[in-house]
Amino acid sequence: MGIEEKVPEGILTTSLDSVINWGRANSTWPLLFGLACCAMEMIATGTARHDIARYGSELFRASPRQADLMIVSGRVSNKMAPVIKRIYDQMLAPKWVIAMGICASAGGPFNNYAIIQGVDKIIPVDVYVPGCPPRPESLLYAMDMLRAKQRRETIGAGRKVEEPLAVEEITPLGV
Amino acid sequence: MPLDVAPVFRSYETQRTLNPPGIPALAPPPEGETEDLQRIAGRFGDDILAAGLHHGNQVVYARPGQLKALATFLRDDPQLQYETLIDVTSVDRSELPLDGEARFQTIYQFRSYSRNQHLTVVTDCLSGTEGNGTIPHVDSLTSIYRGAEWPEREVFDLMGIRFDGHPDPRRILMPKNWPNHPLQKQAPLGGEEVPFTFTWDDPEFETLGTQILAAESAAPDLPPGMSRQNMVINMGPHHPSTHGVLRLVVELDGERVVSIDPDLGFLHSGFEKTGENKRYKDFVYYTDRMDYLSSMSNNLGYCLTVESMLGLEIPERAQVIRVIMAELQRIASHLFWLATHVLDVSGTGMSLLMYATRERERILDLFEMACGARLTVSYIRIGGVWQDLPDAFVTELKDFLRLIPQKISEYEAMVTEAPLWQERLKGVGHVSAEDALAMGLTGPMLRGSGVDWDLRRDRPYSGYEGYTFEVPTRDSGDCYGRFTLRLEEMRQSVRILEQAVDNLPTGLYKSNNRKVALPPRAELDVSMEALIHHFKLMTEGFHVEPGFFYHGIESSKGELGFFIYSDGSAKPYRLHVHGPSFNNLYAIDHLSRGEMLSDVVTNIGSIDIVLGEVDR
Ligand code: SF4
Repeated sequence: MGIEEKVPEGILTTSLDSVINWGRANSTWPLLFGLACCAMEMIATGTARHDIARYGSELFRASPRQADLMIVSGRVSNKMAPVIKRIYDQMLAPKWVIAMGICASAGGPFNNYAIIQGVDKIIPVDVYVPGCPPRPESLLYAMDMLRAKQRRETIGAGRKVEEPLAVEEITPLGV
Repeated sequence: MPLDVAPVFRSYETQRTLNPPGIPALAPPPEGETEDLQRIAGRFGDDILAAGLHHGNQVVYARPGQLKALATFLRDDPQLQYETLIDVTSVDRSELPLDGEARFQTIYQFRSYSRNQHLTVVTDCLSGTEGNGTIPHVDSLTSIYRGAEWPEREVFDLMGIRFDGHPDPRRILMPKNWPNHPLQKQAPLGGEEVPFTFTWDDPEFETLGTQILAAESAAPDLPPGMSRQNMVINMGPHHPSTHGVLRLVVELDGERVVSIDPDLGFLHSGFEKTGENKRYKDFVYYTDRMDYLSSMSNNLGYCLTVESMLGLEIPERAQVIRVIMAELQRIASHLFWLATHVLDVSGTGMSLLMYATRERERILDLFEMACGARLTVSYIRIGGVWQDLPDAFVTELKDFLRLIPQKISEYEAMVTEAPLWQERLKGVGHVSAEDALAMGLTGPMLRGSGVDWDLRRDRPYSGYEGYTFEVPTRDSGDCYGRFTLRLEEMRQSVRILEQAVDNLPTGLYKSNNRKVALPPRAELDVSMEALIHHFKLMTEGFHVEPGFFYHGIESSKGELGFFIYSDGSAKPYRLHVHGPSFNNLYAIDHLSRGEMLSDVVTNIGSIDIVLGEVDR
């Protein structure tokens, strides 16, 4: 967006990359935003037993302006879709999206007039989490995947690595 | 970018049944007599088309012209005293052999709390004209029972029936520019074809991504009755304190609330339409996802309705297991309510959230032991429960029962006496008993206003008559009363659980009727007959006699009712869910008028809503 896109790749930018990515991967603030049943498991992930604070993500922000991560936790109805799009647009880049549960990923059990068959029809999704609802552990694993993804981002434009993530890259927290 | 793709509906429809048992049938006429029915027939004579008992419920078929007179009589007659209209629903009978009868019927559930009576009234809709089409219409009951307002709006929205004299005839769940009324039979189920191939050129992929309609989420026009002289603000659908995707349009004078117009439907998932396209046993899994904080109660309510229609006997052990699960679920749901209520009111009170969810996790662990799932359990099935309790369950449960009373007292000590907490709750969100009855509130909202009613005690199901417990009530009718009431309810649930766990009988955990309940897995390996039953149930399901039935249970939030209209096939012809959150949320305007904006949040928490159930 700014000067960093003009700077040629070099030692300076790659070192800067790793510092910035370290920061981003360790303090991804999710948006305080629940849709349906999956939101209950999202809340459970935030509470003491599963403790999302280990990821630096315990700070659920109500304002999209302060959030980096949107966890779409539930089914998206036709009426809700434009709202989600608007909220996503209001979040500042860099921003990530986790589609939590089969509803957000692909419509799930609700293949009918009311529900959109996957939130990726309206916003881009980084990580899909299967399950109905996914257990908190699944969501934490999705956070791990997201961190792996975040770690290989660079501040420069056009230098994004496009190969899919290898499993070895997804390190469980603390490893 | 506006999302303005017209909806494309799936061209094929699922078959109603693999093997139709003859022709679909209308509900048979009711039979028998009761005192109430005689009194009604005596007063209305020929205007009552039929009256009698159907599946044990009192049913009256009334002429549409007499509906208002009948409702007034039901409410005001000293020998009847039906104080509350619990539910309004409707059925589109266009796929049934009608023989010139009216296509649409509306169905009302009346309840007399003082006399412990339930009455169903069915009436045909008249057909009128609008533009160049015909539309069904019937008199609105809002002038007699205030609580009819939202249910009637819902019927209009989903079924297209107009209510003459309704004060606010807008859509309630669907976006206002929605092209049809989804529950009418000719409206397609919708959805997308599931692509089973892997080439993008396949025509199957054409429907992908076309399910989006230009849904105007934020209606730009002012809700009726609001004035721009005042400040009108918008709460939600993305708001930390609305417990989900609820939108409230609040009219403010300074910081005082003048009126509130809730905008629902942001989580409308088409449960009822989906239910009409699923076999009876397959809908159990959907009920989990309605009130996802009390999945067990949802399972139970649905199964009891179907079982009553089938006339199925449930083994003793299954009944007790069901009670255990339902009560555990009540505690779990109340714990979560407590956590979020405190969080909402105090803004930052995270500690109680952490504590209360710690105990809730223990309950979820118990569920997991029994069925492998934490939240969407589908444990209670038609005919019993899915599988027997594991051996360790009872020990774990006893452990939990030793722990929980002391924890409840701990939480109580944390907030009940705190001056700030009392300041925020006492006298806030007041509703009198008369208003609660008129608005059709149920559960803690009703008991918090002093009406002594609990379906578990007064219309027992699943063997609740065999347990000793108290039904707490509060006379204050405010948020504080409802707060202490729910804490007390948790203690009573513990009492029921202790009795249940001590008297857990041995025996079958699900019905032996192989026509309805699946045979145990082990039997399939050795018995050909079991295999056939299994195959038949899995592919076709079972058929339910033509007729209709409403059954309510006391879920954690109030009366959870299921209404099923059967045409004799393996799928419900019409399935309607009476969600307690929906009717209780109706009170938000009444509770909040004249109070501060911050009290709105307190009131939402105090009503205890789950949007999955409000919007269905
Ligand atoms: S994936 Fe399952 S649990 Fe999650 S929102 Fe959908 S139905 Fe509910």
